[in-house]
This record gives sequence, structure tokens and C-alpha cells, in this order.
Amino acid sequence: MNKPKARTAICFLLAICVIPTFSSGSAPDSLLQIMQDELKRANASLAKSDPAPYYLSYAVADINGTVIVAMNGSLVLSTSVQRREADVMMRVGSPALDNTHSNKNRASGITSGTLPLNNDRDAIARVLWQLTNRGYDQASSAFLTVKTNTAVQSEEEDKSPDFSKESSQEHVGDALAVAPLNQKQWEDRARKISGEFLKYPEVYDSTVYLQVSDDRSYLATSEGTAVVRPSALSRLVIQGETRADDGMELMRVETFQAPSAQELPSDTELLAKADEISEDLKALRAAPTAEPYAGPALLSGRAAAVFFHEVLGHRLEGHRQRDETEGQTFTKKINQLVLPSFLTVVDDPTLKELNGVKLAGSYDFDDEGVPAARVEAVENGVLKNFLMSRMPNKYFEHSNGHGRRQPGLMATGRQGNLIVTSTNTVPDSELRKKFIEEIKKQGKPYGLYFDDIQGGFTLTARAMPQAFQVLPVMVYRVYADGRPDELVRGVDIVGTPLLSLNNIMVTGDTMQVFNGICGAESGWVPVAAAAPAMLFSEIEVQKQRKGTERPPILAPPEPSTASSSNTQSKARR
Amino acid sequence: MQTTAKNRQLCLTFYIAMATSVFLSCGYGDGAQQNKPKTDNPPKASAPNGASDTSAASSDPVIRAMREELERSKSQVKMENVAAPYYIEYRLSDVTDYSAEAAFGALRQHQNTHGRSVRVVVRVGDYKQDSYYGPGVGVVEFAPLDNDDIALRRQLWMATDRAYKMASEALAGKKALLSQYSAEQPFDDFAKAPALQSMEPLAKLEFSPETWEKALAKSTDLFRSDPKIQSLSARATFRAVNEYFVNTEGTITRQGNTWYLVQLSGETQAEDGMRLGRSPYYMTAKASELPDAAKLESDTTKMLETLKRLREAPLVEEDYRGPVLFSNDAATDVFYGMIGSNVLGVRPKPGDSARTTGKFSSNYKGRVLPTFLSVVDDPTIKSFQGHSLIGSYEVDEEGVRAQTVPVITDGMLMEYLLGRMPIRDFPDSNGHGRAAPGQAPSPNIGILMVKSKDALSTENIKKKLIELCKEENKEYGYYVETLSGYEPRLLYRVYVNDGHEELVRGAVFNELDTRTLRNDLVAAGGDPLVSNREGQVPSTVIAPSILFDELEVKRTDQKNAKMPEYPPPALTPGR
Repeated sequence: MNKPKARTAICFLLAICVIPTFSSGSAPDSLLQIMQDELKRANASLAKSDPAPYYLSYAVADINGTVIVAMNGSLVLSTSVQRREADVMMRVGSPALDNTHSNKNRASGITSGTLPLNNDRDAIARVLWQLTNRGYDQASSAFLTVKTNTAVQSEEEDKSPDFSKESSQEHVGDALAVAPLNQKQWEDRARKISGEFLKYPEVYDSTVYLQVSDDRSYLATSEGTAVVRPSALSRLVIQGETRADDGMELMRVETFQAPSAQELPSDTELLAKADEISEDLKALRAAPTAEPYAGPALLSGRAAAVFFHEVLGHRLEGHRQRDETEGQTFTKKINQLVLPSFLTVVDDPTLKELNGVKLAGSYDFDDEGVPAARVEAVENGVLKNFLMSRMPNKYFEHSNGHGRRQPGLMATGRQGNLIVTSTNTVPDSELRKKFIEEIKKQGKPYGLYFDDIQGGFTLTARAMPQAFQVLPVMVYRVYADGRPDELVRGVDIVGTPLLSLNNIMVTGDTMQVFNGICGAESGWVPVAAAAPAMLFSEIEVQKQRKGTERPPILAPPEPSTASSSNTQSKARR
Repeated sequence: MQTTAKNRQLCLTFYIAMATSVFLSCGYGDGAQQNKPKTDNPPKASAPNGASDTSAASSDPVIRAMREELERSKSQVKMENVAAPYYIEYRLSDVTDYSAEAAFGALRQHQNTHGRSVRVVVRVGDYKQDSYYGPGVGVVEFAPLDNDDIALRRQLWMATDRAYKMASEALAGKKALLSQYSAEQPFDDFAKAPALQSMEPLAKLEFSPETWEKALAKSTDLFRSDPKIQSLSARATFRAVNEYFVNTEGTITRQGNTWYLVQLSGETQAEDGMRLGRSPYYMTAKASELPDAAKLESDTTKMLETLKRLREAPLVEEDYRGPVLFSNDAATDVFYGMIGSNVLGVRPKPGDSARTTGKFSSNYKGRVLPTFLSVVDDPTIKSFQGHSLIGSYEVDEEGVRAQTVPVITDGMLMEYLLGRMPIRDFPDSNGHGRAAPGQAPSPNIGILMVKSKDALSTENIKKKLIELCKEENKEYGYYVETLSGYEPRLLYRVYVNDGHEELVRGAVFNELDTRTLRNDLVAAGGDPLVSNREGQVPSTVIAPSILFDELEVKRTDQKNAKMPEYPPPALTPGR
């Protein structure tokens, strides 16, 4: 009897690490044509094998990207990459049972390699042939294992097929009119912005990171799907770090995102952000540490958005409903109340922007070639839908266009743009009043207001407690007696998901957007989450695990002209 | 994302890895100091090299910034109730990388990266016993590409702070661990080394990317000439490393090195499914020594030809025990693996009483090779028979001048290669504390030269092979031209009756190890070959062909692979 392995799904709703997906400027049609021709030949040839694949697809991520990193006013890295990553995905057996059945065998469905950068037919076809051959060996031997195991293992709870039936799609997206990156100019800008932090001796470390990508994704399948999708993305991340006197590490991050680098904010705005980050870090250093607490809490829209992404969003992912090592918190709750009835949660990748902010999780076709669809996950508090890839479960047999992946990994159901709306709202300006009312009602001296969060991680495996952590940075005590708000540091929100979601009492009326990237089993994908500010009757917090390293012994180095006074400057400790 | 500074560094490494080749990593190691030199080339005086080095040091902005922060740290870094550091070093590695790869006639990857890292070591304690252990073996940080004083000093400042704090923890941890062992360590933790000032010019890569990318593509286009070739690719990797080093003992060094690597790779399958491959490479310190496009192409053709012959070659079915001749190419592989890795004076873990790690730890002053062979490691030579040597360096990564070390004399192991971490009976570094950028130094070869007293000519060594086979009434002996690891890639039967050679496939050696080298080597040629090798650090092995009088050659027990499930795509006609 196989014991379920504890498998952890970790989603970092990150501001930083991005996987570039790129594209070159070559004519899209000829690459697609070459892929299709070779796919057709491979499929026809392999039909004579035993076992024969019933599904074959070629996916190519054509990548063109640049990364620029600066620290302390100087460039640390500036490099460009052009690459074409090819994935051959093959399924052997039948949709009812194939080689990708169960987690251990998923990877047998994919073989990856690098394609030539130009559209050289012979070279491209050769590499695809090599990968397909390898893929066949892998898939056919995995299928043998699957057949054997299925005979031996206990009955699974969910006997759905391994692959859903979907109609084929044809779509070639127009090349995006994105201005090429002025690398030199951005190197200088990154230097300048990172140099701003030098004004603040309390900021020990800082980074300015820019990643620009201009990609094309190609997909051709044996079902006749042919989809070409351009995408362009520029992410700018500004980060500052410091340490409190007791060793607690403190960090503040701001991210900016747009299709092209030209649309990113101006230097003036970015320098102001660097100043804001630095001032916040100064304030955090001086702030008292939080105490463990359970009581009323107010989350800003951005904080609430991340909260929902972590606590709810991941638990809606389709493949989790089938995996017996998963916690499956919501699996059996279709058509049941899971949230307060005034809340509705929709995941809509077809939405391109919200209140003027471009959404990071937008796409037209998912990574399995299924058209993106607006999914009503929770309607007036009732769970209605999961986010589905082409892996069915016993509640839903079809994909709803949420099969996403990074190159090299198999797709799973993932979020796109998670939008939380409320019918029980008060103007944001009144939300604070309500908050204080609730604090007084519960007889607490203060409540906690969460303004800025860094994204979090969530554990969904059955063998682990259904905990989640959203990692707040700017948190304030809001006093019932009218004292001014007090910044505190070292706060972590904890709790179990079902409980915390049902503590939402009322929301504000203004949506805020959080753009980020999310990493899980199928890799890193860009996502967005949007929500109004939310008042919780109770949120539980614990003290953040603090580092043990004290602040730096010496003050930061000063320019040489002051070196004579340097030697006299006292050590901090 | 909530991360500590360490995690942030890992995160940066992670996303940089996605876009580029990673040049940073954290690693740990150690080294030792100079012994009495025993060569014709005495080491240069270790006093400052005169006005030129001093002025170069003061005008170099990187060195200047490093020294300034080092001074500040030396005089001020101290925590209450913790000893001040007795030693601090900064090493900045500036790496420029170019890589390109082509397959089947088309380029599929090309990239340039330029990055810098600093490695900071702070030692607490004293030369006899210090904190260089566990978390105390150094901190690596990104370094600015711009020669920006403050930016570099800030990275040094943070790294020094962390290194010092970890050093104090490490020393406490080490003392606790050692208290378990009764025997005291009979040598110091850190060897003293004279201060050295040596400023060499910076190194730069010199090549044309377009020319190389065309050449790689064109060579791999030759896959068309043989439909049974399943894979044909070629890659070029070029690197320039400039290193800056300062320490609180007064050492200031700067040096730059380049290496260029071009490698071909071809694969095919015999009718029985056996996978056959070849991967010849060229490696030099100078771009001018690389093959031009025409030579690359003709060498590719030759390689494809050997793959074809391998496909058609008979299998080795019967076991053989007898004389085997190794070409100089194959010999360099053997000496690199079996001598190169075993003459290093690497201190074992605390509590382990062995002299060093590796197979020769108990062989000091014992015989490890036949008496007609000697081995010397001399990083100071710059070329050999017109070839540049990538293992050549003046100063190691601990700021110690490289010495010529006669590790094996007339078959006897007399010396080990050392950095500044002493081992039993060897208290000093001989300038072999080497490290890859960002890594901790560790004893390593530089230019390992194998010399024979009675060198036979090519003709005569083959004659001797046949002679030995005749003595044993053998129909044939074996000659190995090329190895992959220790497995023969190009192996020939040499027939005793007329000396003709027959290529065979599917064989492996049995028990080819250090014992075989010591006991079964009977002759060496006078045809030393330069073999530049990538490895952890760039190094060179120079060795002649060698003859074993008894080595076992047997059939491989690796199963043959399946043939491809379907044939490759047809080629576009007319190309």
C-alpha cells in the first residue's frame, strides 16, 4: 500500500523572480509550419508503434529577454538572451488512462530541448525528431508502469480520465508593437535609482532589478490546434533591506509592470519610491515588535488580494481536487457556501485591465491551446467552479482555459486574474470607523491594519496542517481610544483557511490590484489579484521568526574624501 | 517575498541563471604555503616588485577601493566579548563569458555575460587555531561592474560584517568539536606566507562572435553527409577571468587569464543499437591557436568518418589480459585522473588522522609510479612546444606565488600540492591554493608534467607492444587512441604478425587504477602532448604515450539502446 507522500505546493506571490519567456522577430508562420509538418510525420510514423501515442504536441517558447540588475548605484548585471525552448508533449494509452496518470508519472509526458534560433527547416525538424524519440521511450515505458500500478493499487477516489476532450483551435496572434529596449539607457536608470538608497545609512542592502521579455509561444498539436501567442512584459522591482537592532530582518519591495519598459514610471516617480521604501524601513527599524494577537483586522485592498490568492486561489486549482496527497479543502464543497454570501470570486484571464491598471494574468489562450475563459469560482459565497486545465476531475470534465505552465513543465490548473468583488460595501473612508467600532465591541485595546504585504506561501498537502501565511510588512496598531496609529514589525498572519475566510464582515468599495508571479508545480506564471479592503472580525497573528544576526558593526563606507573622519567614526557596537 | 539577505542572493542567482550562465557559487576549501624550492627556477623574490607594482596598485580603482575597506575593517571591526579578526582577505573575480552552440547546421544558443563577485574571508583566533571551519570559510557577494568605489565598498562592508560574525560562531563550534579528540593537531590551521605585491595586466577575450557562430553552424551542417549520424553539435565557450586580491598581511595581487574551448560532439548507433559517440575538443589560452573555420570543418569530417568506422567495427567479444599501449592523448586522461587528483595535500576532516584525502595519503616517500617516471607541477611555464597552457598562473588565489613542485621523483611521491592549509609534515603553501571565481581555494594542479627517463620513439614503443605480445603468444595487443573518462572511445587491435591495426568497439578496461599505474607500466614515449582541461579550475596535463604490460580488456556489459522508433526527417533537397 502506498502511503500518500506529503507533497507541498508552494506558491510565492513574488515581486522578484521571473522566468523569462521570449521570442525572436522571425516570421511566425514558417516556424509554425515546420512544427506542424514534422508533427504530422511523427504522428503518422508512431501510429504504427505499439503502444501508439494518442496525443502529441510541440510547443516552442521563442525567447528574447534582457535582465539588468543594479545595487548601490552601480551595475551588477546586464545581459540579453535569445533562446527557443521546445517541449514535446506525448500521451500514450488512452484519455481514460495514459502515461501521465498520477503525480509520479506526470513528467513522462514532456521532453524538452533547445531549437535553432533561425527557421532552418532541416535543423529544427531534426531536433524535434530527437526529442520526440526520447519522448516516446519515456512515455511508453511510463505507461507500462502505470498499467502495472493501476492493477496493484487500491481504488482511487476519483476515476476521471487523464485527459479531457476539447475542440481544436487555430489562432495566430499579431506581433505586439513593442519598442525595443534601450539597454544602455536602462542601465543608467537602474544605477541612478539604486544610488538613491545610498542616502540612507539604515538601508544595508538594496537592489533594482529589471527584466524585459518579448516572446512568442507556438503550439501545434495532433488534434489540429495551432496557436501562436505573442507576449511582452517588463518588470521592475525595487527592494530595500535592513535589520532591526534585535536582529529581525526587514524588507520592502515595490514592483512595477507594463508590456514595454517605456510604459514604466518615470525616474521621478521611481526615485520617490526608493525614498518611500527607505523611510518605511527606517520606521520599521524603530517600531516595536508585535505581540501574538487574535482580533479585528483591516486589510488594504492589495493585502486582501494576496490573501485571497494564497488562501482561496490555490485551493481552486483543478488538479488538486484529484490528488489524494492534497488537502482538498474545497474538493467536496461544490454548490456549498464557502465564503460570506456577499463575496464573489472570479478568475478572468480575458480581462486586460482594471481601473486603469494593466493586469499581469491576462491571456487569450492557455498553455494547452484552450481559449481563456472567465470562470465564476465563487458566486455569492457559493463554490461553483474550479480552475481547470485539461486534467478533468469528477466534478468537471472540461478545461476552462486555466491550464498554465512555464517551458519545461506540464500544465496544471492555475490562476490568471483573481478578482474578488463584494456587495456588502462601505466607502473606504468609512471602513476605518467600522473597524474601530468592532475593536471596541470586542473589548480589545487595538486592532491591526495591514497595509503592505510581500506575498506569501501556502501549504496544501494533506500531511501538513492547512496553514497559510501571508507575510505582511507594513502593519499598524489602530487604537480604540483614538491614539495615533502605531507601526509594528514582525507580524505574520496565520490561521486555517476555512475559518479565516468566514470572518470577513464588510469590505470597502475600491478595488486594488496586485500584480506578481506565482510559482507552483507547473512553474512560474504571471498573475494578478484584485480585491477591495476588507474588515475581518478576527485574524490571528504570530510573531515573525526573526534572524539572529545583529545589525552591521560598522557604519556604511563613506566616500574617500571623508576618510580622515572615517577612521574616527565609532563602531556601532 | 519575504527573504533574508542570503535568500535574496540565492534568488538573484536563480533568476540570473535563467537568463545567463551562472558564474557565482558558494564553496569551501583550504590551502598551505611554500616549502624549499627544488627546481631550476627559484621563485621570484616575494618583496614588492618595485615601483611598477606599487604604482599599478595605487592607480587601479578596484584595488584602491578594496584596500580602503580592508583598512577600515582591520582597524575597526570588533564585537564586544569577541576577539578582533587576526586576518582578513578580499578577492574579487571579474568574469567575462561567451558561449555559443550550434546543431545540425544552425545556431541554437549564444550569449555574453559579464559579472563580478567578491569573496571575503575573516579569520578569528590565530595561525595556530582559527575559525576557518564550517560557516567561517568565507562569504560571497555580487560585486559592481562599474569601478564605483562606494558600491564596491558597500558589498565588501556587508560581506565582512557577516564573515566576521560567522567566524566567531565557527571558532566556538570548532573548539567544541575538537574537544572530543584527545590528540592535538600537529600543524597550524593557517600557514604563514610572505606578503607579495604583483600586478599583472588585465586579460580580455579577443575573438569575433560572428565568425565563430558561422563556423560552428557550418561544421555541424555536415550531418547531411551521413544519414546514420543522429546528432551533431558544436559549442564554443570562451572565458576571461581577472582577479584582484588583498589581505591584511600586505599582499596585493592582480592577474588575468583567458581560455578558449571549442568542442564537437557526434552520436550514432551501430546496427545492434550500441550508442557510439565522439567529443573531441580544442582548448587553448589564446584565440589564435584555435582552429579556423576550414580546419574545424575538416576535423568534423574526420570525426564523422571515425563514427562511421566505429559503426562498422567488430565487437570485442573475448576477454583479454595483456599489453596495452595508450596514446599520449589517452595518457593525459589517465594521469589527470589518477595522479592529478591524488597529489593534492587536502586536509581531512577534524579527527581524521590521515595525512591527506585521496589515494596517495599513505604513500608519502613511497613508490607510486615506475622508477623511470617523474611528475612535476609547474604553473609558471607559459607555453610548451608552441602551445599555450591554460593551467599557467603566477600567483594562486590565496596570494601566494606559484612554485614548481616535483611531486613524484623517479616514481617516489615526495611532495604534495599545497595551499595555505598545512597538512602533516607540510607546514607551508607552495602556491597551489586555487579556486574558481567565488569558490574557496583548495589544492589543485596547475601544469602537471609527466617525464620519462628512457623515452621510446613512437615507432619503438609500438614495436615494444608487439614484442611483449609475442612473448605471451598473443595474436594481437591493444592500442587506445582516445578515452572518454577511462573508457576507450577509439580502441584498436594491433596484430602481431604484420602490425596492422583494426578498430573495435564495445570494450572496457577492468581494474585500470593507481595500482596498475604503479605496477604495470613498463615504458613511456618521447611524445609529450599538451592537454588543457576545463575542470574545477583550468589546468594542463602534459604526458607522453605509455605502455602497460598487463591490463584487462573485456566486453562491456552495458545494454545496447533501442534504435529510433521512426526514421529522421528527410533533408531539404539541394542543400
